[in-house]
Amino acid sequence: MSLSQALFDALRLLWEGDPTLWGIVHVSLRVCFLALLLATPPAVMLGFALANFQFPGRRMLIVLIQTLLALPTVVVGLILYFLLTRNGPLGNYELLFTQGGMVLGQAVLAFPILAAMTLSAVQGADARVVETARMLGAGRLRIACTLMLEVRFAVMAAMITGFGRVISEIGCAMMVGGNIAGVTRNITTAIALETSKGEFAQGIALGIVLVSIALVANFGMAALQGRGGQK
Amino acid sequence: MSLLQVRALQKSFGERNLLDIDALELHRGHSYVLTGVNGAGKTTLLRILAGLETAGIGSYLFDGQTAIPGQLAPRIVYLHQHPYLFDSSVFANIAYGLHGRGLNRQQIENRVHAEMAWAGLAQVAHVRPSKLSGGEKQRVALARARALSPDLWLLDEPTANLDTEARQQVTALIGQIRDANNCVLVATHDTDLANLPDAVHWVLDNSKVDERSLDAGD
Repeated sequence: MSLSQALFDALRLLWEGDPTLWGIVHVSLRVCFLALLLATPPAVMLGFALANFQFPGRRMLIVLIQTLLALPTVVVGLILYFLLTRNGPLGNYELLFTQGGMVLGQAVLAFPILAAMTLSAVQGADARVVETARMLGAGRLRIACTLMLEVRFAVMAAMITGFGRVISEIGCAMMVGGNIAGVTRNITTAIALETSKGEFAQGIALGIVLVSIALVANFGMAALQGRGGQK
Repeated sequence: MSLLQVRALQKSFGERNLLDIDALELHRGHSYVLTGVNGAGKTTLLRILAGLETAGIGSYLFDGQTAIPGQLAPRIVYLHQHPYLFDSSVFANIAYGLHGRGLNRQQIENRVHAEMAWAGLAQVAHVRPSKLSGGEKQRVALARARALSPDLWLLDEPTANLDTEARQQVTALIGQIRDANNCVLVATHDTDLANLPDAVHWVLDNSKVDERSLDAGD
């Protein structure tokens, strides 16, 4: 099959609303959003705590998070596989080869990005935010909430970056999800499978969707960049 | 009785003794203008009095009672040279300090509208701070603090980097802040602001604060 023919077939699949193709896109988006929903609250809280409080092990924790930023997705997949396998410590939850397992894996991947970017945003926040809130009589909790509100665009940018990381990863999704058609097959695992079978049309169509999603995410990030901060 | 009485205030940066003040007293119903060359320590002194910076302090009495600097907000307010406005509307900025003080929504709205009218901000009530001029930002900061009726105002170079018109507007507002129950201390280089009516003129020089008549210059 020529490239032009494959491209034509890919566009036809997209245009005709091929249920298999859009089902795969649905799995990808669903898993990614749930993973972000799971990872964001604890990661943001951790980033905020690391930026604001001194406690034993803080430095080590920061180094660990920074290291996890570069963790290969297949390594996360491998670790989770051993944890979730029937004989593993979390085997009773029966999450291996399910969307739940994929959500867990992608949440682990997004967590360090969210925590590190929140830490950076809070550390980089204008010192006058806290001083002004204090001068206006705010208590500790209100000061913390004010600070988080002032860096909200940076946290949203962290979420978009985290989304970009998990929507495009394949290692963890393949190992923990198992690439089961209609259940855990997502965009990246489907592209890998279809390409290995020589079925380029669906792979290209999914690639177009993936690039489009990445484009929208980056437009969102560009819109958020430069917002907030000094006023 | 003085509103704020500070004794034996010392602040050093390494070898450099920035502030070495035996006694400082601020009284209700008075305005004080603090001048001094750049780097004399005016901002540091104001921040220490507000509790935003630490220093060696022999005694710190507020309204005759021993107090801890920094725990008196919003009875003492410090306004930065470049005030920080929260990333919300002008209205929300002025309302910020009024929440959690037992006021209902209507009371807060009335107070905010009154302060916006005072500072000439009614037209920009729903504008975000990033769209405001330097003079408008300074007026928002003044209105936001005034909403809390502080006893002691510590104003750090409030007219610095403003154009002539904005400087005049801000100076006029600062002239209206003082009443019989509060006290205003302004650090400034601005000669218009230094001529606030009935203000006591202080000069910070060589780590000491000296009272000086305006005629003597500095």
